[in-house]
Amino acid sequence: MSHTQPTETPLEDAVPARELSMTVNDRLCRVRCEDRHLLVEVLREQLRLKGTHIGCLNGDCGACTVELNGEPVKSCLVLAPAAEGAEITTLEGLALDRDLDPVQIAFWENDGFQCGFCIPGQIFATRRLLAGNTDPTDAEIRSALAGNICRCTGYQTIVESVRAAAAARRDAPDHVEKGT
Amino acid sequence: MIRTALRYHAPDDLGEATELLHTHEERAAVLGGGTMLVPSLTRGDRDLDHVIDLRRIGLGEVSSTAGGMRIGASVSYARLLAAQPFTGATRLLQLAAEGITGGPQIRCQGTICGSVAYANPSSDVPAVLVALEAVIHLRGPGHSRAVPAEAFFLDAFTVDLRRGELLTGVTVGARSARVGYYKLKLAEGSWPIATASAVVPDAGDSLIGATVTLGAVSARPLRLDLAPLLDGHGRLPAAADVDDWVSAQLGEPWDDELAPGDYRRMVAGVVLRRALQRAQGK
Repeated sequence: MSHTQPTETPLEDAVPARELSMTVNDRLCRVRCEDRHLLVEVLREQLRLKGTHIGCLNGDCGACTVELNGEPVKSCLVLAPAAEGAEITTLEGLALDRDLDPVQIAFWENDGFQCGFCIPGQIFATRRLLAGNTDPTDAEIRSALAGNICRCTGYQTIVESVRAAAAARRDAPDHVEKGT
Repeated sequence: MIRTALRYHAPDDLGEATELLHTHEERAAVLGGGTMLVPSLTRGDRDLDHVIDLRRIGLGEVSSTAGGMRIGASVSYARLLAAQPFTGATRLLQLAAEGITGGPQIRCQGTICGSVAYANPSSDVPAVLVALEAVIHLRGPGHSRAVPAEAFFLDAFTVDLRRGELLTGVTVGARSARVGYYKLKLAEGSWPIATASAVVPDAGDSLIGATVTLGAVSARPLRLDLAPLLDGHGRLPAAADVDDWVSAQLGEPWDDELAPGDYRRMVAGVVLRRALQRAQGK
């Protein structure tokens, strides 16, 4: 019986991969990723931006939310190559100069954080809401947050935090949120 | 992590996209917003070699047409909502888009045409497009065609797409009508259990000429002309009679893990009546 030595297949041939350029938190980043990588995987593993969390990987929980070209998206639903050339803001990008974003401050002061796992979704959904409505009703707040699941069930203080963020924005109408 | 050796394509034009689809056939899929396709790849429910992203092709616009509006294949719910004003019956699209499950993130990512191609019985868009008598526009290698929405949805998760074809957009007419949309779901994050899209011609309290299209209660959207139900003044009979009639029209109800078919049959009439009440401002 003869044995044939298995031919080693170069990884590049086995798994399509590419160079990816995108601007993340105001910084141009170039990374190498496989075509099958999700954006959340590249952000966390290659760029070490651990503020973006992996929860359900199904688009349900919102823990992986980032802003992509100014819109909140669930980064577990984005293939990394589709982010070529995009401008991305992660949770870390809201406090680049170490001063928290006003929405983050409102959450901090109103116990909107418990374990903090769902915070990317809650913060970015709040920013989206307040960009178009600085005096939302509770129903509008709850509707805006509907795509985010808090595993601590701390919804009441999250809603209170959004109310406080809205009030702060009304009190400082000229204030421009970071990244908007 | 997606476990298959997926290759990502972002073609610059429709010709290249349809050629890729034609060449790779069942090993390829079109990527619209990604809200259904990407998690299905992550879960391993789908095993593909090629994903064809439409983002560079220029299908991301909502435009006015002579009789209504055209929605490009890459238009998200958020972009559609920003394209106001909605006139006449097209307001149904607005009502459905505002209530899409998943919050602002999904409304920014998910696309109307993606929902059409996926044809999940338990989703909002297919029945709304059937209610509006929308037309689905398709492009294949060397040809284009247009299919009425009612004929496009063949069965659950099955549409009239031929080898190498993809959706380029949908057109909806803005005919004058009052509209009402009602959706029943049992949790905020749930797919709908039943939807009803009512279209009522502008004629006072009369429902003559009114239709209601039910979604999520059968494998395909079910468009009902209310004429057999109405009295000489265009009024509905008692609620129980309406519900019995709707149940009889339903045939085999859709049955999945969210709700059994018998439950959907039971609520279909109620949902229909509530959509009509909303259309009439009651």
